[in-house]
Amino acid sequence: MQKFSIARPLALVLLLGAAQPALAQAPAAGSGPAYPSKPVRFIIGFPPGGTNDIVGRIVAPKLSEFLGQQVVVENRGGANTAIASEMFVRMPPDGYTIMMNAPGHATNPSLLKLNFDSIGDFAFVTLLAESQNLLVVHPSLPVRSVKELIALSKKRPGDINYGSSGVGTTVHLSAELFQYMTGIKWVHIPYKGGGPGLVALLSGEVSLYFGNVPTVIRQAREGKLRAIAATGAKRTPAAPDIPTVAEAGVPGYEVSTFYGMSAPAKTPRAVIDRLHGDTVRALNAPEVRERLQGLGADPVGNTPEQYTAFMKNEIAKWAKVIKAAGIKGE
Amino acid sequence: MPDLRNNRDLIAGLLFIVLGGLAVVLARDYPFGTTMRMGPGYFPTVLGVILFLFGLYVLARGLRTGEKLKGEWGWKPLVLITLSIVLFGVLLDRAGMIPASVATLFVAAAAGREFRFKEVLILAVVMTAFSVAVFLWGLKLPYPLIGSHY
Amino acid sequence: MDLLSNLALGFGVAFSLQNLVYCFAGVALGTLIGVLPGVGPLVTIAMLFPITFHLPAIPAIIMLAGIFYGAQYGGSTTSILVNLPGETASAVTCIDGYQMARQGRAGPALATAALASFFAGCVGTLLIALAGPTLGEWALKFGAAEYTSLMLMALVASAVMTQGDALKGLAMVVVGLLIGVVGVDVNSGMARYSFGIPELVDGVGFTVVAVGLFAVAEIVLNLESREPREVYSGRVTGLMPTARDIKDAAWPTLRGTAVGACFGILPGTGPALSSFATYMLEKKIARDPSRFGRGAIEGVAAPEAANNASAQTAFIPMLTLGIPATATMALMLAALTLQGIATGPQVMLEKPDLFWGLIASMWIGNCLLVVLNLPLVGLWVKLLTVPYRWLFPSIILFCSIGNYSVNNNPFDVYLVALIGVLGYVLVKLECEPAPLLLGYVLGPLLEENLRRAMLIARGDPTVFFTRPISAVFMIATVLIFVIMVLPAARAMRRRT
Repeated sequence: MQKFSIARPLALVLLLGAAQPALAQAPAAGSGPAYPSKPVRFIIGFPPGGTNDIVGRIVAPKLSEFLGQQVVVENRGGANTAIASEMFVRMPPDGYTIMMNAPGHATNPSLLKLNFDSIGDFAFVTLLAESQNLLVVHPSLPVRSVKELIALSKKRPGDINYGSSGVGTTVHLSAELFQYMTGIKWVHIPYKGGGPGLVALLSGEVSLYFGNVPTVIRQAREGKLRAIAATGAKRTPAAPDIPTVAEAGVPGYEVSTFYGMSAPAKTPRAVIDRLHGDTVRALNAPEVRERLQGLGADPVGNTPEQYTAFMKNEIAKWAKVIKAAGIKGE
Repeated sequence: MPDLRNNRDLIAGLLFIVLGGLAVVLARDYPFGTTMRMGPGYFPTVLGVILFLFGLYVLARGLRTGEKLKGEWGWKPLVLITLSIVLFGVLLDRAGMIPASVATLFVAAAAGREFRFKEVLILAVVMTAFSVAVFLWGLKLPYPLIGSHY
Repeated sequence: MDLLSNLALGFGVAFSLQNLVYCFAGVALGTLIGVLPGVGPLVTIAMLFPITFHLPAIPAIIMLAGIFYGAQYGGSTTSILVNLPGETASAVTCIDGYQMARQGRAGPALATAALASFFAGCVGTLLIALAGPTLGEWALKFGAAEYTSLMLMALVASAVMTQGDALKGLAMVVVGLLIGVVGVDVNSGMARYSFGIPELVDGVGFTVVAVGLFAVAEIVLNLESREPREVYSGRVTGLMPTARDIKDAAWPTLRGTAVGACFGILPGTGPALSSFATYMLEKKIARDPSRFGRGAIEGVAAPEAANNASAQTAFIPMLTLGIPATATMALMLAALTLQGIATGPQVMLEKPDLFWGLIASMWIGNCLLVVLNLPLVGLWVKLLTVPYRWLFPSIILFCSIGNYSVNNNPFDVYLVALIGVLGYVLVKLECEPAPLLLGYVLGPLLEENLRRAMLIARGDPTVFFTRPISAVFMIATVLIFVIMVLPAARAMRRRT
């Protein structure tokens, strides 16, 4: 029996591995093959299955068509996109790694200790889509409008339970913003994700919920829930008869869930423009529009400058709400 | 007093005491709340205390009965198997799937009782090829064959 | 009768060539990924998601569903063969299944698992067909108080899980409970025991714990002594279960199906809980509980039936309420939504061909799975004759890849190594891993619901007794506690 020695084979393997960086190519901006000449990694900061992930998987195939290279979705879930972002900002700014942004990007700076700059380390490409939530109540709650809700809440402070898909999620923060702007007080009952939250609402365990449009609209049409208002700046096309919260009594109220695309900072302008152009074309494709709308997301496709300004605004807005609500991350 | 070395329950008891104690100490930073309105620190602290108490009892029992561990601690396989798994995590991102798989297979095989280099080499080649086929080609997992993921 | 004509419609749809092909593709793929640790139906369905755009709705959902419940069949294979749970719900099958394999009874174990799964799958499908909406509504009656009492009942019963030392077994449950605490606390949003490591903020994954605790620890254990330890008995007694096996496995299969079906409907309980629950039940009512953990066939049949039944009934909340209980269901729901199909009680009326076609194809899928898996038993058993020195490095490799693929993050791999060390140490100290796993599954559910129930009840503990379903569970908890303590108390009294 041969005396074992792992030294030799191990050295072989490590040498092989160490040699790779020397062999790998890092195309400098402008020189080498034209962009894109190899597949693009599309990082999604959530595990598969969430709406964010689905939006990415709807856009990616179409974008691949226009870019002429495969756009490969890669999930790196954890801490509401913080983990993915941490790894993302260290990627070479050559346009071969892009990332999907979510509202978590705007709220994390106020909740977690991040070791990246949420604005400075990113080159924002475009806002892919936006969706909003519907303020729905369980039929047992005797309100039919925002005004009635505010009145009832003032009569019963700290009595009405509202559900959410978790502390710090848009569902939660929508409700916090509402309370912040109207001076009422509800009791927050967090759940682990949207599914359990909605079940709780349907069963009446909580009376109120800011729910995702496609799911709740059906229940509302069937009378299981009452949809009172929409959280966006404009009425949602899926339910044009439902007023926005701003229209119905809380002027200036606006919460949207956004899905955006960004590249690492210092990605060359030419690459950003190419990404932007092709993404907008993908968003304009009828089947992509249709599918996004089926999810309750309205395609946007604005300019990098607009998206950057939007992001700065969101971060600031949520910083205020989070501070006022006293929410702490870690 | 019975022999303290390799005393099964003594070590187990110590382990529980340490884990329980750690749990309580770390949970000190979390708001405790009241029994009716439990804070995030309530559950872990209570559990830590219970574990600590269990640990004390097991330790005492160990001292009383002095029952020994069956067999020896397997240091070599423990270290090598652990190393092989860690190596995979380290190498996959930096060197790619093939070097990582080969390294893991080699180091893991070294944990065994026999190590025949040629045999392990063939195993490494076959299993790496199989893994690449199943995971990268079949399931389309986005890992590089060779080269950095970064 | 309405049901018959619906079923006729369903089978008509399911038997079309296209749907049959996609059904087969789905279940075959599902079986494959069920076998691989870490890679689960979620990742696969996500990957295939864009493909569903190009398919009509019915074959798309048939295929996706096939992947999902097919994975439950595959998951038990590695659990039995090498103590490696391929799917979360298959972890319990490791306990007795692996022991059976070591005794040369891998064949009967695998076959029983397949047959029990088939039975449960059929019953589950039948339940969806007969009582889908009713069961869906019933699940809505479960609130935080009910979940709390249910979890409490399971916790009290958890002492049943231990074979040897009861005290250390309970300590293991507590360790498991503590590991479950790691991560974000739902009720406060605070990250606990995360040591500033972002990956721990989402907790320690089930795959990591199960693989490290069971598979890795077992491998180190097998390698530790200088003399070769015979891992698998050379004497293989046969590929198929004997008549005695079938007789022994029959009632556990039935009971497992019942338990699994109930748990599957409840959103938020997770797949592993039902298998643990039936295992504990079987062990408690068995004439000779000491056989459990040593290769009792009931310990394979009941959990397998449970996890398949719950995989089928898990579709009920999604189909009849439109609520996805898990991420996998959310993907399927999205696939349906994008095809323009709104699920809810209306789906049975508005799209009967989809609903009944899906149900019929689930039954067909279960048949295909049995046809697929039974012949493979021979192949799998052959695999065990491979020299262990070739087998175990490969297992380590698959564990590593599988765990990495959960989040594409090396951290999960490092964690497996750590838990593997812990698992080995614990097994060496004769502390059993199974109670730990149970504690890990139960802990978060118990704490989350307990605090939520108190929050909703504004601090009033009587809520657990004033709500009828919860009261039932609480009484059962007390009863179980008495039943378990009584023998010990009687023994103590006899001694004095």
